[in-house]
Amino acid sequence: MSSSSPVLEVRGLSAAWDGVPVFRDATFEVGDGEFFVLLGPNGSGKTTLLRCLAGLERPDRGTVLLDGVDVTKLPPHKRGIVLMFQDPALFPHRTVEENIAYAALLQHRPADEVAEEVGRWVELLHLSGFEDRRPDRLSGGELQRVALARTLAARPRLVLLDEPFASIDVELRAELRAEFRRVLRSSGTSAIHVTHDREEGLFLGDRVALLYDGIFHRPGRPSEVFGNPGTVRAARFLGYNVLAGPRGLEGVLPADLRTAPPGGDGRTVATVLVSGSVGRETHVVLRSEAGERLEMRCSGEAPPPGVRVPLTWDRSVPLVPD
Amino acid sequence: MRLRWEGTGFLLPVIAFVALFALLPVALLFSNALAGVGGAGGFVSVVSAGRNLRSLDNSLEQGGISAVLAVALGYPAGVFVGRFSFRGRALLRSFLLVPFLLPSLVVVFGVLDLFGPSGVVSGVLPSTAWFGSGIPAIIAANLFFNVPIVLLLTATGCETASVELEETVGTLGGSPFRAYREVWARPTWVGAAAGGLLTFLFSALSFAPPLLLCGASSRCYTLEAQVYVLDQTFLDPNAAATLALAMVLLLLLPTAVYLGLVSRLRANPGRRTPGPRPIDWRSPTAGALAVETLLVLGSELALLAAVLYRTVAPSDQYTAGAAWSALFSANTTSHLGVSAVGAVGNTLFFAVVAALLALLLSVVSGYAIVRRPDRAVVLGLLLFVPLLLSPVVLAFALSSFWRPVIGTGTNVWVLVVVSQAILALPFALQSLEIPLAGLSSAGRDTARTLGATSLGAFLDADLPRVKDGLVTVGLFAFAFGLGEFTATNFLVPPSLTTLPVALYALTEVRLFPVADAAAGLLLLVSLAVFLVITLGGRRVEL
Repeated sequence: MSSSSPVLEVRGLSAAWDGVPVFRDATFEVGDGEFFVLLGPNGSGKTTLLRCLAGLERPDRGTVLLDGVDVTKLPPHKRGIVLMFQDPALFPHRTVEENIAYAALLQHRPADEVAEEVGRWVELLHLSGFEDRRPDRLSGGELQRVALARTLAARPRLVLLDEPFASIDVELRAELRAEFRRVLRSSGTSAIHVTHDREEGLFLGDRVALLYDGIFHRPGRPSEVFGNPGTVRAARFLGYNVLAGPRGLEGVLPADLRTAPPGGDGRTVATVLVSGSVGRETHVVLRSEAGERLEMRCSGEAPPPGVRVPLTWDRSVPLVPD
Repeated sequence: MRLRWEGTGFLLPVIAFVALFALLPVALLFSNALAGVGGAGGFVSVVSAGRNLRSLDNSLEQGGISAVLAVALGYPAGVFVGRFSFRGRALLRSFLLVPFLLPSLVVVFGVLDLFGPSGVVSGVLPSTAWFGSGIPAIIAANLFFNVPIVLLLTATGCETASVELEETVGTLGGSPFRAYREVWARPTWVGAAAGGLLTFLFSALSFAPPLLLCGASSRCYTLEAQVYVLDQTFLDPNAAATLALAMVLLLLLPTAVYLGLVSRLRANPGRRTPGPRPIDWRSPTAGALAVETLLVLGSELALLAAVLYRTVAPSDQYTAGAAWSALFSANTTSHLGVSAVGAVGNTLFFAVVAALLALLLSVVSGYAIVRRPDRAVVLGLLLFVPLLLSPVVLAFALSSFWRPVIGTGTNVWVLVVVSQAILALPFALQSLEIPLAGLSSAGRDTARTLGATSLGAFLDADLPRVKDGLVTVGLFAFAFGLGEFTATNFLVPPSLTTLPVALYALTEVRLFPVADAAAGLLLLVSLAVFLVITLGGRRVEL
């Protein structure tokens, strides 16, 4: 987080549906211009947390401070926090230009200023030539770019991105997320991005926090969070194999797991379930004797399914049970 | 090549049916009538005749006032039911629609039982007797019947508004009123306008209310009633058919606009995540909408209660037992030409057969329209022609065309069944359109690649998914047939008298307590159908 005072401070925020907790005691800050990523599996409470921040749901406990002002009880339209959904939710009866200008016009900004604002975002998000089109004549990626332009033209203090790339093709998704990151960074807008895609989350975030089972975990820089997941659950979510070592549980990345050389002692034994080529490497799925599902990346040919292989590893991170 | 014609070949029987039992008879009726009155000049002179012109005025006046008031009363309740989720919402939504499923004569009796000379309410508050006769009574009856229509279509509009878009407006800085204007004002007003137009169509063509609520006077007759009187009382079929043609021409535009609005409602491009959202009872707007909805519900319950009350507390010197005994007496049988039990039997027979026929027609054509909309445009339009045809016009045309072929005896039951099925067809089709449109070709295609025949794929993949819709359509068409009075009254000989026709016959001889008992009986049967629809968690769409 930047050293200046935070744009958003969330303190002890909790929400429940019919008495069942969705998330508990979320406490974190988002700095000015920071891109904060909330990473968690489906159903972990990410979207509800965003909706509470936007004012679309009322939390059971806790406070939300925006620039030091308590906005917990403010309605959505008075917060200055814009939420972007997976669905771009554009106005179907308005053109691209009119969609982008929407919030600026609501704020009663002068017409020339609005036009300038719209022009800026059209250019930055490569929407030139689409200004007069209606949403039904745009592709998925174009729709999301217009939605982002509309969001940023509102000049919000904070943008909330609720898996905006989830329904975009894989190829376009990589391009779009890089573009979103670039545009948000250049505009200096703070953002919270939620996703279940760990690669996307780690790639985009200045800081990343994990959310699973309704509990908020250790925000930190992506390399810190990934390099030291801490708990078994976090490690599994980040793609580690969980294995028993001499000093307790260890997290081992698929690329660090390998078959022990002939005659050498493996640290554990597992049975090959399936394997397949992923480009230059082979991806192998195995089952350990303890019943743990393991994944391994190796070069060369993998042993056939059903074969028991000794496994070893040199690099690991210590884990504690959840 | 086979694929090219698939889905249209088996429609020929449907097209032939509509042509033979609606289009051809009506076209011949109108052309013969025009020839009979002497062409365009005769047409103008029939339409501009004093009584006919007054019936045109009445139709426009009653239709217009009813439509405006139905929108004013139905819109807030429709928004409440469509926008908010709360415990008991589905039941409330269904219950608010009950009057639409009621026979029109029962609604007329309800108005009389509430505000008529011996009305339950007018007895306590004499000033409300104003609603018991003449135009106010007709409008009141039209409203009881039509407010549910506006309510339902407004609620449908609400349910198609995008939740994400509304929330986006909020987070972009738009107030709740702004979100209303931007996101859900449009679909809700499209729904309300469609409901208003349907109210106009039904009210401008109302038959029982002007006949029964204006005393013996013809001053309140709508075009529909006047067509009936010209043919049946003044025995001038050419004038009646010419006026009917004027009526169809008059309704052409509102019907087309109604169909356009409904298709716009169904194809709302803003639809993403439909569904009501939790109600905040502290909101003054939600509170006001709830109060208005309760008022609508309260008036509907009062109407039903008044009809049921009169079956156990008749207004004249009758006791309840005497009224019910009289209904099943030999005197009544001799007056009606059929016993009350026979009338109930006739009613159920016609309603069941007509419902099955309407179901068959709507399934075959609806399935074709959904699967091959490009090829079924003409069929779709054809099946909505009955919206243009009032019950009297249809019955008049069927009678003129088919009676020379089938005679005037009991064979006429065929025409009664056909008329009830054709009149229910547009609504049956619309109710089926949503479940049919939700069918995915993936399920059907998977079944085909697994070895199922085309019929097998329909039975295994599609039918289970539209089963509830089919049952609803069947029940809806059955309820429609139960209460159908206008066309049936025109067609049936005494031996085929139905309960609604008997009800009307009893009022003609002023046997009101006996008619009250018959109305109660009809209401109970209709409520039973409603309960089956509601308890099955099914929904009627318009």
